[in-house]
Amino acid sequence: MVRPKSIRAPTTASLPSNLLIPSTTPSLVKALGKLPRQALLDLVFHWLDDRNVQLFAPYLESDEADNAEDEGLGPYPAERTIDDVRNAYQELQVRKGGKREVVDRILEGDWRHGVTLRQLAMVDLRYLDNHPASLRWTALELTRIGADGGESSLTDGLACVPRIHASTFLNNVQQQISPLVKAHYYLARSHSLPLTFLRIFVTTSPYQHPRHSAETLTDSSRVIYVAFPDSSPYVYTSIASSSSSRSSTNAFATDVRSLQRIVRDAIPKALSLPQQRYALKATSLTAKNLQALLALRGPGRSNRANGAFSIFADAVADGSPLDPRPSNTVPPEELINQSKLEAPAKDTESRKENDSMTQPSGKRHRDSDTDILIPPKRKVAIHSRFGTSGYLSSASLDRFDVRILDRPQSDDDDEEADSAQPTVSLTFAGSDVIAGIRKLAELGIVDPERMPSWMTGEEGVSVAVVRQGNRVVKDSG
Amino acid sequence: MTSTEPPKNMEEELDFEIESIRAEIRNLQHKRRFLASSLLGSEDIQKRLRAHQSTTLNDELSPLMRAAGKHAEINHHRVAFSATAFPFKDPSPNSENPNLLGVRIDICARNGRFTKPYYVLLKRVHGEEKRLKVHQHTIPAFIPMHVLENLFLPLPSTRPDSEEENLKPWKKSTDSQDLNAFVRELRRQLAAWHLRMDAVQMLRENLGIIRRGVDDYDDDDGVWERNILSDNQEETRLAQNDLGIVSLSPTALDTTYVRLEWHDGRVGRFKISDTGTVERAVVIGDNGRDKSTEIVLTGGDGRVETVLDRLKQQVPPQL
Repeated sequence: MVRPKSIRAPTTASLPSNLLIPSTTPSLVKALGKLPRQALLDLVFHWLDDRNVQLFAPYLESDEADNAEDEGLGPYPAERTIDDVRNAYQELQVRKGGKREVVDRILEGDWRHGVTLRQLAMVDLRYLDNHPASLRWTALELTRIGADGGESSLTDGLACVPRIHASTFLNNVQQQISPLVKAHYYLARSHSLPLTFLRIFVTTSPYQHPRHSAETLTDSSRVIYVAFPDSSPYVYTSIASSSSSRSSTNAFATDVRSLQRIVRDAIPKALSLPQQRYALKATSLTAKNLQALLALRGPGRSNRANGAFSIFADAVADGSPLDPRPSNTVPPEELINQSKLEAPAKDTESRKENDSMTQPSGKRHRDSDTDILIPPKRKVAIHSRFGTSGYLSSASLDRFDVRILDRPQSDDDDEEADSAQPTVSLTFAGSDVIAGIRKLAELGIVDPERMPSWMTGEEGVSVAVVRQGNRVVKDSG
Repeated sequence: MTSTEPPKNMEEELDFEIESIRAEIRNLQHKRRFLASSLLGSEDIQKRLRAHQSTTLNDELSPLMRAAGKHAEINHHRVAFSATAFPFKDPSPNSENPNLLGVRIDICARNGRFTKPYYVLLKRVHGEEKRLKVHQHTIPAFIPMHVLENLFLPLPSTRPDSEEENLKPWKKSTDSQDLNAFVRELRRQLAAWHLRMDAVQMLRENLGIIRRGVDDYDDDDGVWERNILSDNQEETRLAQNDLGIVSLSPTALDTTYVRLEWHDGRVGRFKISDTGTVERAVVIGDNGRDKSTEIVLTGGDGRVETVLDRLKQQVPPQL
């Protein structure tokens, strides 16, 4: 792994996974320190696994012979074999202690020669797995572009679910962006969600071994995440800006934002095949919670059935045709679990959660009998408006922006001929906006019968323009 | 330590007991409701009821009884016809056409249970009273709803007739909507999808499934894969089998393509058609394509259900 420092020529290859970031980089301590002790140890064992140890070779005594100048100075003497390294971490595993000692051991001991880009990517993705709400994700829709530039042709009955072959896809992305951006790619499967993450780290240098400062290599603003949900025509990115505002930016700019733009534009092209071209379309949904994105723009049933219609998505409207009980006598909690095996332990769990109703986070499992304070008429109205959303479903939006185009006066009769038309913009923020509005309706602050349907989350968007209570959809967007 | 433990234990025990009794009560209530409505909805009782319909009995009848009879009838329709329609009122106060037409599709799976019903809610197009468009639905994303909608429920085109259409009148699309064909095609795609899933699941079960952490016995090698067809994301792998298949799984939720992996490093992929036949198959080993296995996969009657039988009959390939 001695890198040839003498030859430096611009190439179009991607940044190699084994590019070393010097362990002395201060931000590495921060990057590794994000993970809890156990996750760090798990990662180390993964690196030291027989199948992977070639890629993540630790520093051994045999390496010490090569550069003998700093012999015996480090706090962690180099181990003789890989098994010894493993044993050292096994010892840390058994012993209780802080994560700091594991981080120190990694950076100053066994990987003192440097941490590879791949290792850093693995650390980042592990963090993402444990903290699915650590980034803001924007959902984009993949649409087919026909030969005439319009919608897909009718003869082809396939939905826009491209089949992704990981290495081909990465090759294509690389081909698209290599003249402009040098990048490092890491593709990994999420451990908890039906998603595949792609982590792209971008730099501007055309050289294989760039002479950037080590801080650049760990700069988290240069990292772009793209998530591909299984079997659905959507793509989620951690890039904030929407894809519609792409035209006016300076093509020669080399700041991080334009690099990100280049990468984002490359993704649909890399997914495209001959005669089968894709484009990304904004879907007005941005949320922190990946679960919410999966519920609203995912492979499942709830993409186009929210708010009042969530009773259909959760199939609580009526039961199976073999169920002899009329549907209005069966509580929705029972219907929702119909397909799963009934576990009595689950009931007790949900009961315990009832007490923590005031807690803003988490799913709200509430028995209908416990809310005695709500008048029955309002309860019926709330149920018919919200269905199960904000109550049994878990599509929690953390932010909801609405622009209302209607004139602020309540009566249409006394219309004044004023030219200046004020618009009202509302922003809801919180851990679960829709559940919050439902709560307001329960408390009688919001009239459940008269409120417009966007307040129930029926549109499944986080940004909406509303006229007369209905969402205005721009054809161009 | 000994002095604090017994009462705590007892308390826990009592709590546990109370909890289990409560669970039992819930179970029994559940059962009672189930039996009551089964009885009320049963054919015998309903028949007797109908015999007396003309008499004054009708007024004295419990509403529960009537509801049960009605519900049984609805269920019969759902079982027999699979696609049923129902009215639904959009509760939104701003809706122009709050009356929606709901279509419910019930599909019976391999285990004899019905899957969660699929719904499509259609609403009248503003201005065109006779035309419908899809308002909301619960169809999975890989079924191209907008394509089906364009095909069977076209809206009158807003653009003027193009030159091509005038020159070639036979190419002019008929603007009439066909709701029956729309539902039929949708149901066909949903049913085909469930049949494909059932077939793959059956093949996996025939090979033997080991669930990680449940019936996993110590050895950690083998190809663990997440079962994308089940709700919970548990990891499973195939048991050792004499066909040498270590992995057989759909590549995506729509289960059109199935990926195979053999112990000797060969990988394969086959496509299941909507009618349940193996349409195409590719098997690649270290020495290139394995044509004989490909032919076996697509050969015979071509059914996906009998793929394993055909593989068993195959002479083991000479290496």
